[in-house]
Amino acid sequence: MLKTADNAVPVACWSCSVAKTPETLFCQHCSKIQPPLEGDFYSVFNLERKLNLDLAALEREFHRLTRKLHPDNFARATETEQAWSLADTAMVNDAYRTLKDPIRRTEYLLMLEGAQIGEEHSGKNRVDPSRVPADLLEEVFDLNMQLEEMRAARKLGETDAALEADLQTAKIKFDGLMADVDEQLKTQWGVWDQGDEATRKSAMTNMVSLIDRRNYIRNLVRDVNEALGS
Amino acid sequence: MAYSDKVVDHYSNPRNVGTLDKSTTEVGTGLVGAPECGDVMRLQIKVNPETQVIEDAKFKTFGCGSAIASSSLATEWVKGKTVEEALTIKNTDIVKELALPPVKIHCSVLAEDAIRAAIGDWKKKNGVAETAEAAVAAK
Ligand code: FES
Ligand SMILES: [Zn+2]
Repeated sequence: MLKTADNAVPVACWSCSVAKTPETLFCQHCSKIQPPLEGDFYSVFNLERKLNLDLAALEREFHRLTRKLHPDNFARATETEQAWSLADTAMVNDAYRTLKDPIRRTEYLLMLEGAQIGEEHSGKNRVDPSRVPADLLEEVFDLNMQLEEMRAARKLGETDAALEADLQTAKIKFDGLMADVDEQLKTQWGVWDQGDEATRKSAMTNMVSLIDRRNYIRNLVRDVNEALGS
Repeated sequence: MAYSDKVVDHYSNPRNVGTLDKSTTEVGTGLVGAPECGDVMRLQIKVNPETQVIEDAKFKTFGCGSAIASSSLATEWVKGKTVEEALTIKNTDIVKELALPPVKIHCSVLAEDAIRAAIGDWKKKNGVAETAEAAVAAK
């Protein structure tokens, strides 16, 4: 898929009429604020759709834009410009929050590229059975049963040493699985970033199933920690 | 999110929670998950070998309120039905009955998948072919 910037026609700045590239928040010529972006979160920061990002640069750019969009700078601006600056601020915040987080970034990119992922797609397409890792399901289910047993025992004021030990073992195991998934995701990031159309496609498929897997493990890690922590 | 009264009812008073003996041939077990949220559901049926009527159903769901309500309702609905009748239960029926909002549709899909998986497991165990007629003919 082409990036918007590649086929975008320059538009004229509303204030100085000089042509500007459409994906910037401010006119490069007169530096006036422009109507809010229609592009995606990547275009907010003028980034290509890649998964390995320079996070320090992203943060700097975020702070720079936030400063430029600060309400104080628009105290004497028109109402329209004030409204734009508010809309931009919201967009910049959302974009930053999404892109700085590795998992949210991955999910967002997959969604931009048309993958069926996330809540918006849930239930609209029947779950592809090949996407559900059967052995993992089994494990997740059994551990959930164990967790429940432990909670029930706790409620009665008992602590079952064997059960707690099992949970500790499980915690180590699932933390490890989580780390594995994250490691594999990173590998796929590289494939995506450097890939051509064909390798990108397979990287996408892999990432979708890794994210699925991660969702199950994430719930477990959360529940195990809760059970152990309380 | 506000749950409908029916969801709240099934959620706070779930029917048929529990486990059936997985190892017996009359019992079919379906274990399914929703990758969107990481929730898991197990639904089990106990089928009369003569009549193919589902005589008992149990579920255990680790997930959201809608998933618990959907599976609770699913066990109520399959009981007393033949396996073939149970296969006609659609997730949209569950959505309607529980008045689930669009973001919770996948929870009902999970319940339908669980019914199918349980019946599929039972059929496999018992060497039952696609339709009931075929199975009867085979005996
Ligand atoms: S939110 Fe996932 S099953 Fe309901
Ligand atoms: Zn200008």
